[in-house]
Amino acid sequence: MENKLIMFGSMTPMMRARELLRRHGIRGITVRTPAHLRRGSCGYSLKLRSDSAERAAELLRENRIPFVGVAAADYS
Amino acid sequence: MIYFDNGATTFPKPQSVVRAVCGAVTSLGANPGRSGHSMSMKGAQMIYSCRSEAADFFGLSEPERVIFTHNCTAALNTVIQGVLKRGDHAVISSLEHNAVVRPLEEMKKNGVEYSVAEVFEGDDEQTIRSFRSQFRKNTRLVVCTHASNVFGTRLPVERIAALCRLNGILFCLDAAQSAGVLPIDLSDGCIDYLCTAGHKGLYGPMGTGLLLINCDTMPDSLIQGGTGSYSSDLSQPEQLPDKYESGTPNVAGIAGLREGVRFVRSRGVKSISEHEMRIAQMIYDRLQRTDGVQLYTMRPEISSHVPVISFNVGGMDSEHVAQLLNDRYGIAVRAGLHCAPLAHLSKGTEKRGTVRAVVSAFNNMRQAEYFCQCVNKIVSYNEKKVAFDN
Repeated sequence: MENKLIMFGSMTPMMRARELLRRHGIRGITVRTPAHLRRGSCGYSLKLRSDSAERAAELLRENRIPFVGVAAADYS
Repeated sequence: MIYFDNGATTFPKPQSVVRAVCGAVTSLGANPGRSGHSMSMKGAQMIYSCRSEAADFFGLSEPERVIFTHNCTAALNTVIQGVLKRGDHAVISSLEHNAVVRPLEEMKKNGVEYSVAEVFEGDDEQTIRSFRSQFRKNTRLVVCTHASNVFGTRLPVERIAALCRLNGILFCLDAAQSAGVLPIDLSDGCIDYLCTAGHKGLYGPMGTGLLLINCDTMPDSLIQGGTGSYSSDLSQPEQLPDKYESGTPNVAGIAGLREGVRFVRSRGVKSISEHEMRIAQMIYDRLQRTDGVQLYTMRPEISSHVPVISFNVGGMDSEHVAQLLNDRYGIAVRAGLHCAPLAHLSKGTEKRGTVRAVVSAFNNMRQAEYFCQCVNKIVSYNEKKVAFDN
């Protein structure tokens, strides 16, 4: 299964997102955002299954949790 | 030692707090929010969890609006210096601590003015009128203590906050003496900024404080620097809480604070408050019956006070009384002005200050009885000394 990254600018929104997604049954692993995706940030990402990424991003938008973007986790 | 100096910081701390601080030093020793390794992430998770639990405790839905500071003074400075600009006017109460007064005095140099609203103990209506009478067209901020750190007097802050909302004025609550002792709920939106110590009624370690931002007016940050986020940007990030949390956080302190908040929640604010007030009332009643002791407030009740008793003995200097309590009887209290000279002006105690006993969840009636006996002995000592001197 392909994975995706939801990227955050900093730690706190990422933690809040992880908690929110967990409550909705979406599990993510916390990782550092890979260098080529950072876009000037030195942030963190939640790595999760591709099929839940869209729903996860939607939940974050609904709950006004800021994130930088969604990308394919093809680096590992 | 019997400790009644809980207004300065509570002691002892719950064992869970002690364990958390030690545990953080030994197992959360990495810098959180900077690296991606396990220990750093574990520390970041703990910090987030404290932020989240503190937000929940005060009725705030967004944990990122909880800012960790060094103490309540730092939180108050962030609001006062970060919100007020040249030409702005602020209103404070007559019971404010120097943590509020001194930043405002300093800001006079930058064209900020402030006025002091008199507080009328036992007459909330008059206190409200007093605040309203100080409002001007350019009043931007009201900073108000929830309860006096000297006399324990509670202010009708919910009504003052509502009055501010009605007049389009930002309201900042100084909850240094009340967080963990009185219920505080930010969910109705009237309190814009909540500043508190983490090491008093929340039972965290010293060096911890909180600023909760409950409005869209973000104060300027007073300190800028590394946040572990947006590092290629040379400007301070606007995102919360990063905007206000530059530099390495106090991981051990925050770990202790989290347990302190859990301790308060497990006992319940109401239960803690009732326990403390019973002891404070006992002290008050005993001292009131003691000739030669001056008290400065009405009998404390939860509706009107926090468990703070200020008193003096005869014509003795307050520092002398505190010294005798310490040296002869092993009792810790604080004497003097308690960094709140304005509060003393209203009671005429600005010259010699007062002796202050503040009750915590860890005090008991036996300690209070012993304390009153010792004050009695000091009264007798003073009477004999006065008679001898004459």
